[in-house]
Amino acid sequence: MRFAVDTGGTFTDLVVESDDGGLRMYKAPTTPADPVAGVLDTLSRAAEDLGESRETLLGRGEMLIHGTTHAINAIVTGNTARTAFLTTRGHPDVLVFREGGRIEPFNFTVPYPEPYVPRSLTYEVPERVAYDGSVMEPLDEQGVVAIVEELARQEVAAVGVCLLWSIVNPAHELRVGELLERHLPGVPYTLSHVLNPSLREYRRASSTCIDASLKPLMGHYLGGLESRLRDAGFGGRVLVVTTQGGAMDAADMAHAPIHSINSGPAMAPVAGRAYAEADTGADTAIIADTGGTTFDVSLVRGGRIPWTRETWIGQPYRGHMTGFPAVDVKSIGAGGGSIAWVDEGGLLHVGPKSAGAVPGPVCYGTGGTEPTVTDASVVLGWIDPAYFLGGAMALETEAAAAAIESHVAGKLGLSLHEAAAAIMSVATENMVHAIEDITVNQGIDPREAAIVGGGGAAGLNAVAIARRLGCAQVILPEVAAALSAHGALISELRAEYSGTLYTSTNGFDFNGVNALLEELESKCRGFIEGPGAGSLEQEIELTAEARYPSQIWEIEVPLRGRRIEDENALAHFVEDFHKTHESLFTFADSESSIETVGWRANVRCRLRDGVNLSVDGADGGREIAGHRSVYFTDTGFVEARVVHFEGMETGETVEGPAIIESSFTTVVIDPGAKAERRPSGSLLITP
Amino acid sequence: MARKTLTLNADGTLDGVQMAIVNKRMEAICAKMANTLLRTGRSGVLNSARDFSCCIVTAENRLLTVNESLPIHVLRGADMMCESMQEFHPDLRRGDAYLHNSPYHGCSHPADHTTLVPVVDDEGVHRFTMVAKAHQADCGNSIATTYHGSARDVYEEGALIFPAVQIQRDYEDIEDIVRMCRLRIRVPDQWWGDYLAALGAARIGEREIMSFGREIGWDTLAQFAEQWFDYSEQLMIAAVRKMPGGRAVTTSMHDPFPNAEDGIPVTIAVEVDPDEATIDIDLRDNPDAMPCGLNLSQACCESTLLLGVFNSIPDAVPTNTGSFRRVRMHLRENSVCGIPRHPTSCSVATTNLADRVGNAVSRAIADLGDGYGMASTASIIPPSLGVISGTSEKTKGAYVNQIFLGWGGGAASAQADAWLSIGHLGNAGMSYQDSIELDEMRFPLTVRGRHFITDSGGHGRTRGGAGVYCEFGPTEGDLEVGYVSDGNVTAPEGARGGTAGGRANQFRRDPNGDLHRLDACAQAIIPEGHTIVSYSCGGGGYGAPTERPAEQVAIDVRERWVSPEAAREAYGVALDESGALDGEATAQLRNG
Repeated sequence: MRFAVDTGGTFTDLVVESDDGGLRMYKAPTTPADPVAGVLDTLSRAAEDLGESRETLLGRGEMLIHGTTHAINAIVTGNTARTAFLTTRGHPDVLVFREGGRIEPFNFTVPYPEPYVPRSLTYEVPERVAYDGSVMEPLDEQGVVAIVEELARQEVAAVGVCLLWSIVNPAHELRVGELLERHLPGVPYTLSHVLNPSLREYRRASSTCIDASLKPLMGHYLGGLESRLRDAGFGGRVLVVTTQGGAMDAADMAHAPIHSINSGPAMAPVAGRAYAEADTGADTAIIADTGGTTFDVSLVRGGRIPWTRETWIGQPYRGHMTGFPAVDVKSIGAGGGSIAWVDEGGLLHVGPKSAGAVPGPVCYGTGGTEPTVTDASVVLGWIDPAYFLGGAMALETEAAAAAIESHVAGKLGLSLHEAAAAIMSVATENMVHAIEDITVNQGIDPREAAIVGGGGAAGLNAVAIARRLGCAQVILPEVAAALSAHGALISELRAEYSGTLYTSTNGFDFNGVNALLEELESKCRGFIEGPGAGSLEQEIELTAEARYPSQIWEIEVPLRGRRIEDENALAHFVEDFHKTHESLFTFADSESSIETVGWRANVRCRLRDGVNLSVDGADGGREIAGHRSVYFTDTGFVEARVVHFEGMETGETVEGPAIIESSFTTVVIDPGAKAERRPSGSLLITP
Repeated sequence: MARKTLTLNADGTLDGVQMAIVNKRMEAICAKMANTLLRTGRSGVLNSARDFSCCIVTAENRLLTVNESLPIHVLRGADMMCESMQEFHPDLRRGDAYLHNSPYHGCSHPADHTTLVPVVDDEGVHRFTMVAKAHQADCGNSIATTYHGSARDVYEEGALIFPAVQIQRDYEDIEDIVRMCRLRIRVPDQWWGDYLAALGAARIGEREIMSFGREIGWDTLAQFAEQWFDYSEQLMIAAVRKMPGGRAVTTSMHDPFPNAEDGIPVTIAVEVDPDEATIDIDLRDNPDAMPCGLNLSQACCESTLLLGVFNSIPDAVPTNTGSFRRVRMHLRENSVCGIPRHPTSCSVATTNLADRVGNAVSRAIADLGDGYGMASTASIIPPSLGVISGTSEKTKGAYVNQIFLGWGGGAASAQADAWLSIGHLGNAGMSYQDSIELDEMRFPLTVRGRHFITDSGGHGRTRGGAGVYCEFGPTEGDLEVGYVSDGNVTAPEGARGGTAGGRANQFRRDPNGDLHRLDACAQAIIPEGHTIVSYSCGGGGYGAPTERPAEQVAIDVRERWVSPEAAREAYGVALDESGALDGEATAQLRNG
């Protein structure tokens, strides 16, 4: 038996997979002060449902895979450890300069971001290494010891060390690490060349300091998770989902906790890929995860989940760069709670401000006064006010209508329902914009992709989004409301190793490159023999980061083989580079030489065979009215069929206008669209 | 599939929802163009400094949509360049592309090579022009810099000037033009790569807008443009109505430079009329054009005035022809900051004097009322942002590139402390700053140090951004560094009682460690074993420093932005030995 638990901001989702492959889904409120309690609560619910004690249930478990927002929450709320930054002398402001850049050029009301570690906890190490690894200034060990003594006086709880060119010659960083061990025992530290051996000092320093600052906290959290699970009777392996969409042993994660930053959303595309393949055979998909305040888009391209090199905590240029590639997830402030408003020029906007959980949408009756997407959905008849969250919360339609009337309809001279439909249209457009942004960056034509919806609010405008993008298919999995937890269940063990070696196809350094590739590959083999021992299948993938001369932004090109042995292999690589460049940017400079900078190796170990996609024992209990009056822009009010999601037979089709409901979600089938229940349990919608 | 959303209503207009949707599509097109230029450009000034812009101009040559780019590039000028393209080439065809860098016909300065692609619909009607402007590392000047501060005229400046010259026909390059560029520009392969990047951006824009026009109809798109201008004007009217009214005159002075030995005085009169919702800016009372490279082009002059205005209002207003209607600019022909006549040199038009002019506008608006306007942003271009050149093994021959090794100097605004890494007014902080490691890998140089300078930000209720110390030198052969550093004499001014930012300075450090002061505008030769030391300006503060919360000043001191001495003298804040606020002594300083 396996468990996948995803701790989100509001709910903790659990998917249990029994030994015969059956899946069950549970939700319990997240307990922010003690997230492990929420994990144990969902397990209690599962035990109750399955009619056994929690101890017995856990005793049957061989693996628990956990997605957590603990690290990101600590950063956002400023609850990380008091961390010092050690940098090369002369360069104290690496974290202040960042890499420059700004958004909203005319907006001077936003202050400059504070550095991740303040200047008052930044220390300059007397040393300097040159770009070729030679030592320009030897390390002054007395100077380092003096700094470490000051760190003790400052009661620093973690230390990040990032020296210039440590990626080429790590001797000074290593020695600083030894001196920290000796003179500041017990205080965790991170060395940049160990954590993230990549070019560009800001990104590396940022990774290093973020990682160090999370070590005390995540060490405690992950240790506590594991021991409390053991105490509760669990004897299996505890894995944690990584930002890169893989899984790591909890103990390893505690040593590099930065990898847990985007632990939740990274799993949605893993599940999305499985559904796209099962339901349509498509290998290209857009995964649209709609929560209360954010809309997260991720992709599957050619069966692979694309990454981004630049991952920000917070807004670009206003937040902090993690310095690590991550599953490319684009998040915008568009969700059920997004607020609709009209500006002084008479233009309608939806978001990015959100009513959040508090005060919440107007229809919740919990103090909200500004109309939201959820309010519009209720007014349009899309959401049944009596059956929200399976009837757990009654919604106030009239209050929602009054808010839309006064904040939107009156100002635009529209009827109530026209205004509510307009709110949905603008929300849809915001989401489409986010999807276009990420698909364009990754070179995907959205018309050739299927959309996979996740999150409780995904079904409201999935058809509208698909129509706007020209997508031919929308998939709403039965587990949509717990898509990330399902993704965690099928995730693979993953690790990534990288190195920097600058060379050009004019005078290519075959020996140097192949030696580095050999080193990276042997690290991958070590991983396969270690954490990956006993896995079903292993894969190593090598990529080069390359560019045309004097470009500075590299693109990733997968290598065809394990080495670049000779001119012939190099010619293949060159050809692949030109092709990739052309597919991303419409042109190639085919006469030009190519420079390579970074080299990466990814290793993946598959832990299991395929996973079931449908859920067992869903609630079938509710009688649903056969029809209700629902408003659409193109038709006005129409009588729409109302159908119970779990009640649909495999192969059964429902033609729009219709509403398909379950206790977890509402799916709007617009007039002219059609939904079919697939063997996987998903709805496959033709928009 | 129903797609009724984007057709015109019965009265021939689009409603607020449709407007929002079409606008997002247009913005997405510009964003796509910009992404191509950034990721594929070759010159540092493109791929690091993001010194480029992409925009959509209507067939009637009105600026409609711009990506988020350097404001000095694009507020005005794209429209004028398109106008000259139409004047010189009345018969525009699909597949055409035009190269434009003439400051006498709407370009900012000759280093900004601009690719113009007319979008021609299936009936042969010219609908829009896609504009991709990209600053070059070298544009064929007589010296190895794109900022020729001392050039007496365009002939001494030396750049090839292209007043909307056709460079593609039927999507094929016109090789004559390419050959001319390759023979004149010092780094021809780099130029070629940048040309491909800019052309690629414009062509991607063309492809996208063609498909959008076919989808929703060209007339709908034209209707959108009209309404979008009106909408933007309405927002601008609402913003100006909230402003304090009145007339304010401010002055500034660009430092003495070669061929402008007495400096260049600037006088600006700004008049805000909230009832009429208009802003008038008069800069006719300024000297004639000078025999140097600092004269403004008309595009830069008008852009920097608009920049001063848009920076000064807290409301978000789209920047396009519609909102610009509320700003009336009065320029004089043959003024140093007005409308230049050929062969006046405008080599440095985007930065030095333009910054002085735009900053003066923001300070004038600040003079009209608290809560509006800004202090002065740092002056530039210090050696840390110089154009470096030389020859080395590492670069396999000659190299010319602009580096971005460190600038700060944001101006305090009425609402917030400075955006530290703003660079200068016209850049608005959009540039990236170079990674030390990346530059040491690409060029034969080493960076000995780079950090912000304590007390160099102007003091005020909101603080100006600190200036930057940067020291670097060659590892192989001589390093030539071209720079034009204003602010050595007249520091960036504060506003409403805020103090000025720190001044710029520059030195050569010899192998003994001794410093030798360098000229403010020079092509400095730095031999191996020596380094160049660059101090960039800080930005001005806003409001009286004594109005800054004392607790905040204590944090400024702890974080080394402000020294304990300045805390006491400028801010009236006393701290004890541990750095904690001494409330009693502070009260005495502030009230006594």
